[in-house]
Amino acid sequence: MYSAYFDNFTKKVPLTPEERELIQSHLSVKKIRKKQYLLQEGDVCKSIAFVEKGMLREYSLDEQGGEHIIQFASEGWFISDMYSFITAEPATYNIDAIEDSELVMISRSSHDYLLTNCPKYETFTLQLITGAYLAMQKRLNSTIAASLESRYESFMALYPHIAQRVPQHMIASYIGLTPETLSRVRRRIASNKG
Amino acid sequence: MLFLASRQWSRGKRHGTFALSKANKMKTKQTIAIIGATGNMGSAISQSLAKGNYRLLLHAPHEDKLTTLVHTIKAAHPSAEVESIDCSKQASWEADIIILAVPYAAEKEVADKIREVANQKIVISIANPLNATYNGLVTDATTSAAEELQKLLPNATVIKAFNTTYAADFAQPVIDGKQVDAFVAGNNEDALQTVSDLVATAGFNPIVAGDLSVSRTLEGMQLLLIQLTMKYNYNWVAGWKVLHN
Ligand SMILES: NC(=O)c1ccc[n+]([C@@H]2O[C@H](COP(=O)([O-])OP(=O)(O)OC[C@H]3O[C@@H](n4cnc5c(N)ncnc54)[C@H](OP(=O)(O)O)[C@@H]3O)[C@@H](O)[C@H]2O)c1
Repeated sequence: MYSAYFDNFTKKVPLTPEERELIQSHLSVKKIRKKQYLLQEGDVCKSIAFVEKGMLREYSLDEQGGEHIIQFASEGWFISDMYSFITAEPATYNIDAIEDSELVMISRSSHDYLLTNCPKYETFTLQLITGAYLAMQKRLNSTIAASLESRYESFMALYPHIAQRVPQHMIASYIGLTPETLSRVRRRIASNKG
Repeated sequence: MLFLASRQWSRGKRHGTFALSKANKMKTKQTIAIIGATGNMGSAISQSLAKGNYRLLLHAPHEDKLTTLVHTIKAAHPSAEVESIDCSKQASWEADIIILAVPYAAEKEVADKIREVANQKIVISIANPLNATYNGLVTDATTSAAEELQKLLPNATVIKAFNTTYAADFAQPVIDGKQVDAFVAGNNEDALQTVSDLVATAGFNPIVAGDLSVSRTLEGMQLLLIQLTMKYNYNWVAGWKVLHN
């Protein structure tokens, strides 16, 4: 129920049994089925979710109803609308399950409590945010500077396990292409290789 | 119908009333597990919450009764998301909110089953720990069913609600032209708001009465209401209404 969460945690920051117990008492576990929402735009994001099993995605909707995926989260990843979580303002993103999933959730009050009372939790959080920041920079650079082919190829290289589990139109949305453009890009890559 | 003078409540810290129009505005559907869904209260609560933006997971020991209940709810509310589930732990694992609609005596057994998955979730205590002859409570005066449940589920957020309303009131939350009040007690503001939304969805007027220890009074109020109901023959449709300016 919590094993992937604590594996992930202790790989970064080792814990004593007492610290683990304290942290676990502040977590909650939740199962969510494919296509169910964890968060809908307009509601306040009340927790950060860690994926023990399954896969979720986070996306915004444009005025035409187009989906723009900003993040996938499979086993070992965290997902939330951080802006809404921190400010308690309405969320601008939607989060839903692409597969039946098992989550470990932490609420804002528990998160704040552990940040103040458990230095190891603070260290872990700092590492998470640093990692997320680096990944975000990379993603931003790839979106504004890389060719379409290399955007697709670096996604496939970085996230082969996700690519296998999500439909093409979601990959297209994640790298900022229409599904039609993505098929053209894939054909070009295939013919260059062939 | 019973009336209670407001004087004794007027000094209360929170006397929050939430209008029906303020009922749950959240877009994200919350999942509610109802354990003991086929009982008097469980089925009344399930049927009235099926109107709201909730997904209901119903659990009880007898599958045939559960299937009938799910059919009844779907017939009345074709768009309701409601299903039966044969394991209380699975139901609670999927849930955001858990309602224990079992007899007080069964709460320990249920708590043991759901403890691990009830962590940090709202667990609603509706129980009135009545003795066999309805002339007293089995709990002593320094505690309540809600506080005992909190001890059994130390990492859950136990909220008292729905204990001063009869099962039959759910079909008729307005009695004698007045909307029945329903008291909510607990120690977490967010959870009190969430449960007040549920109470409003069911058609009652939610009043946050205080912290979880106020459950002692609330459970005592229901004991009195039951005694009055038997004495004056209210036919099990009765409730509390606070009169105030
Ligand atoms: N009745 C009222 O008007 C009223 C008002 C306010 C509060 N309450 C409180 O609400 C609670 C339920 O009362 P009720 O009148 O609805 O009782 P009830 O009709 O006897 O219903 C109890 C429910 O719990 C189930 N159950 C019993 N033991 C169980 C166990 N160990 N595990 C899982 N499920 C179990 C029963 O299933 P089976 O029937 O299939 O065994 C049934 O679905 C009590 O705590 C009571 O004090 C009642």
